[in-house]
Amino acid sequence: MHVIIFSWEYPPRVVGQLAEYVRLLAAELVKNRVDVHVVTYHDFLTGAVEEPDGVKVFRVANPVRTHVGILTWALTLNQEVERAAASIYYQVGKQVALVDVHDWHFIPAAVTLKNAFGLPFAYSVESLEDHRAPPANTPYSMSIKSIEWLGFYEAQRVCVKSEWMRDEIVRIHAVPKGKITVVKPKANSWIRDILAMYKSMAGGAGKN
Amino acid sequence: MKHELSVMMFSWEFPPRVIGGISPHVYFLSKSLARNGVKVYVVTCDFPDTPAHEVIDGVEVYRVDSYKNPAPDFATWVYLMNLNMQREAAAIVNKVADKIDVFHAHDWLVATACIGLKHVFRKPLLTTMHSTEIGRRDGLHTDTERMIHETEAWLTYEAWRVICCSNYMVSHVKWAFGLPEDKLAMVPNGVNTSVYEGIEKENLKEFRAKFALPEEKIVLYVGRLVYEKGIHVLINAVPKILEKVNAKFLIVGNGYMKDQLLNIARSMRLEHKILFLGFVDEATLVKLQKCADVSVVPSLFEPFGIVALEAMAAKSPVVVSDTGGLSEIVEHDVTGVKVYPNNPESLAWGITKVLLDENYSRYVSENAYRKVRENFDWNRIAEQTMQIYRAVLGEYSKSFWA
Repeated sequence: MHVIIFSWEYPPRVVGQLAEYVRLLAAELVKNRVDVHVVTYHDFLTGAVEEPDGVKVFRVANPVRTHVGILTWALTLNQEVERAAASIYYQVGKQVALVDVHDWHFIPAAVTLKNAFGLPFAYSVESLEDHRAPPANTPYSMSIKSIEWLGFYEAQRVCVKSEWMRDEIVRIHAVPKGKITVVKPKANSWIRDILAMYKSMAGGAGKN
Repeated sequence: MKHELSVMMFSWEFPPRVIGGISPHVYFLSKSLARNGVKVYVVTCDFPDTPAHEVIDGVEVYRVDSYKNPAPDFATWVYLMNLNMQREAAAIVNKVADKIDVFHAHDWLVATACIGLKHVFRKPLLTTMHSTEIGRRDGLHTDTERMIHETEAWLTYEAWRVICCSNYMVSHVKWAFGLPEDKLAMVPNGVNTSVYEGIEKENLKEFRAKFALPEEKIVLYVGRLVYEKGIHVLINAVPKILEKVNAKFLIVGNGYMKDQLLNIARSMRLEHKILFLGFVDEATLVKLQKCADVSVVPSLFEPFGIVALEAMAAKSPVVVSDTGGLSEIVEHDVTGVKVYPNNPESLAWGITKVLLDENYSRYVSENAYRKVRENFDWNRIAEQTMQIYRAVLGEYSKSFWA
């Protein structure tokens, strides 16, 4: 099973907790015989590399160097994420099962790949704009929230790390509770739960 | 029906949404390509009371909800609009029976949508660069301007061919982005002469009376009220012109300089001579161009200058600043008058000359009309564009993407 993971942070580029979580996730998936392709951002380490733990990592840089905010940075970077993901897709004979996108930054790319290839994606939520920047009512925050909402709307599954987060997503974005899977990173069944979610999604994948 | 070629065009404006020259350009180019047997899809922004999908003379037009996401500023809005455009276009490419052969982007405003789609579907991307940020702003002064410039550079980098509408723009784009010569192609902009047929100036007296007194000559400006269009140069020339000839100045269009220009007109006590009409509908515009005793294009930066061509098609004499594409369209003393850019004295001289010498005015406008019909015909432009598509597809067929 080929899985593409999108994350805006991945070692050695560590911004918050997400980088370490995604590193561990990718490594554990490889141990469970999943072909893992991580697409991430780095300022200068670009291209595809095989990491020590068997994860294929594609690091892309933004061709537009000057930005007026994180939004323009993220939105332009998405085209390079798509380029990397499309390369993976064609290289593995279109046999990608799903995309797992962590937080909002690369939601646009996941949405395009879904519409173009019929490739389902899971939206894994580390944090929400409402919690990062309360009360999240500036034009910037509202814009980011609208991308989060698009992710919830277009995702086949939403994956969260706690019941609290699930309830917050239901409260803030009115996402149907049944669409959200709670997978606790500290639980013994963590990676099995992730795999179960992936398998339930890949079954419904339309291919062209 | 199987088509030899199919193209998906991207433009942030398409009639009835008209902001600048890209909208009519894409409209006529699409229609002419369709008439020549090309299957054309246009993906553009939405407009009130306009369908999300319609077929116009064989052209499939898709309008995308472009204000779906709140945006903190214009540039961010553009990238968010591209997100929605790309999302819908990806679904359309999947849905349509004819496969898409090429993507064609018009300006940086649709850059990110098209760059992503190129890689996702692995089809060649072409772009027409109608303008550049570095040209519009006369340099790059802010982060927003630099960001737009870098997005333009990226688009030209990703494009298989870069089309420009004038020789001036070819050299400008080559300089601005450091492009190799063989990546650039020149295809002129066209003008639709048919909308001006059957309307005679003599029959428009009643219409004319709404804007000017019978003894007043009409000086017409059509364009956005922005710095690069040089509208302030025209406003500064008004008193000099009025010393010699009684005229009414009709200003069509909107822009960020409007309030400033209104203030200048008021402080010169010339409010009764300068009418700011704002945005007018197509039918009114055509009649105004027919009524105009002179049409003025005082641009400081002008990649092409479609309004000059329209005026020439309407048989209105033109006075243009000798810059950019305008220099190539107008031949001085033959098809119009060229004046020094950013020079109110020179502009006033040109306008006065046309208004005071009726024989001269008739001579240049008739020459101009002939030239427009011969050189700026959309059918011919469509054929040139198709040749570029075919050349690109020929090269593409030998690539590993094919």
